Amino acid sequence: MKRLLTYAILVAGLAGSAHAKDVTIGAIIPLSGASATQGEDQRRGMELALEKINVNGGVLGGKLSIITEDSAGRAPTALDAAKKLVTVDNVPVLIGEFSSGITIPVGEYIAQQKKVHLNVASTSIDVRKIKGDFYSVIGLDDVSGAFSAQDAIDRGAKKVAVIAPNNAYGQGIADAFAKKFKELGGEVAASIMYTEGQTSYRRELQQLEKSAPDMYVYTAYGKESATINREAFELGLTDTPWYAMYITMCTADSDPKYIEGQIGMDLNYVGPSGADYQAAYKKQYNGDFLSTFNGFAYDAVMMAAAAINKAQSDDPAAIAAALAEIGKKYDGVTGEIAFDDEHQRVTQPYLKLKIASGKVASN
Amino acid sequence: MFDFLIHVLIMCCLYSMLALSLNLQVGFGGLMNFGQIALFGCGAYGAALAYKYDLGFASGILIAVGLSAFVSWAFAGIGRNLQSDYWGIATLALAEVVRIIVTNEGWLTGGAQGISGIKPLLPELSGRSQQLGNLAICGAVLLVALLACMRLTRSRYGLGLKLMREEPQLAQSVGYDIMSLKRGCMIFSGFIAAAAGFIFAHYITFVGPDQMFSSETFLIWAMIVIGGLGNHFGAVFGAFLLQFIFAFIPFVKDMLGLPTEFVAAMRLVLIGGGLIGFILWRRTGLFPEKVGGRADG
Repeated sequence: MKRLLTYAILVAGLAGSAHAKDVTIGAIIPLSGASATQGEDQRRGMELALEKINVNGGVLGGKLSIITEDSAGRAPTALDAAKKLVTVDNVPVLIGEFSSGITIPVGEYIAQQKKVHLNVASTSIDVRKIKGDFYSVIGLDDVSGAFSAQDAIDRGAKKVAVIAPNNAYGQGIADAFAKKFKELGGEVAASIMYTEGQTSYRRELQQLEKSAPDMYVYTAYGKESATINREAFELGLTDTPWYAMYITMCTADSDPKYIEGQIGMDLNYVGPSGADYQAAYKKQYNGDFLSTFNGFAYDAVMMAAAAINKAQSDDPAAIAAALAEIGKKYDGVTGEIAFDDEHQRVTQPYLKLKIASGKVASN
Repeated sequence: MFDFLIHVLIMCCLYSMLALSLNLQVGFGGLMNFGQIALFGCGAYGAALAYKYDLGFASGILIAVGLSAFVSWAFAGIGRNLQSDYWGIATLALAEVVRIIVTNEGWLTGGAQGISGIKPLLPELSGRSQQLGNLAICGAVLLVALLACMRLTRSRYGLGLKLMREEPQLAQSVGYDIMSLKRGCMIFSGFIAAAAGFIFAHYITFVGPDQMFSSETFLIWAMIVIGGLGNHFGAVFGAFLLQFIFAFIPFVKDMLGLPTEFVAAMRLVLIGGGLIGFILWRRTGLFPEKVGGRADG
């Protein structure tokens, strides 16, 4: 009798799971440490996606949920989180991390465990080395650096001076820019990697000035670029055009009078289909985007859900196959997403922008 | 769960080596080193550089040993006449210098992008057996380091170290050469820290300057302060305790349905609060230093 009961429960359980199946995926993001703001923004993007998916019928007839783990911005902690999600929670899909230096070791582990990994923020070209089912929903530095170089040439620059932060992002994008710019026949007369958190960048700026460029190209985080922009203005360098890579990040904290007339590019992080998303974000969190990263996290969760539904399974290999199919052309809130042979996003819509009367405007 | 546990144990062993090494400097020699993570970095970059330039495993060990000996020697030599707390500030600065050099000399070290794809220690194994192999290696190295430290501190040399910590002038007056004591202690403990870095690099297969932030040093400090300064078992226990707490906080979060920010906040509270609590109320840590064979509370 007891055995019969067990079978009955087992059969009932199996029948139930055939009808509706809840799926859990994992996310590793920095919610403490130096990149906690961007991490929080990623969390918001994922939360919005999750709500939307579950309102619209969920996945495989059940609910989708995300277990989010904090990476603290450290590789060892992120790896702890990845191992927990893979070996204990047994998630088929993982999203994250933020910094390339953490995404790479975590990615190699996930690839070795044959799970699907969606990269939503790390833009170093070194992530290409991760094999397995690793997909970048965000365009890498070679894409953005090359776009900026082409744009600078189009705007008549021949000899430029470059300044960028001395970290993985800055070194990556400056290299990609220089490579493409030289290919197009331009000259990079000076290139300086600045140390983050200084109180003054006069020395760096004067060094750039010596090379007498016909355009300054820069990329910097909000607070630092506020200093750079003010000092460049005071040194009279703003008589030469300034080109900002990721102009909204570069000018966010700057005084409008120092940045008037700057030109530059930025991610079109709200693509043609992103207006509704932007409105939903504003409504939920009572404010504008915290950073440019929420949209990629949103798209990653939406794509993962679409792939699970397409595969009709929560098996990582089946999801990866479905994802490759969906990733031929996917209409995300960050614009059209298409993967190349190495599963990296090939096109990313960029905007050509300028600062006019203190505001970012299209050019 | 089993695989996760193995991973946590591996990390425990690696941090235990770092804690043992720092404990030898601070707990026994009174050398307030705030730059411990640089020694770890020497080991990690030894492995990474050997991989990048295809020099092989053995030369990786040689590079790690050479780098750590050099940096330890520099640590000991810098501001040789400074008092211990001022010397501590100098070590913090020197560790930052090492990190900045690594970030800027991109032609050699890969710069801020780091070096990725380093081969695992046991490439012929895979899956769980590889993990068990890693754990065996880590456990063995930790055991050797622990025995070596115990032997060292029981010897006359260890007595000299303790005397240097308590009464440097007295140590000098009875014929100890303070400078060579300092140098020897730094270089020996540097090897242990570098061993941890070397294994860590092969284990996570990536090395970058972001792994050498000074906040990492303070994590190791928390381990030895909580475990007990001047007690080898205390250092190892502190490392295991903190690693286990960190690894299992996320499970508490899942069980109670708390938001992930809780984990982030709890980690910071535990390190900071633990340090302050122990310094205020239990200076000797969980395992007090043994003096004359008896526990001295």
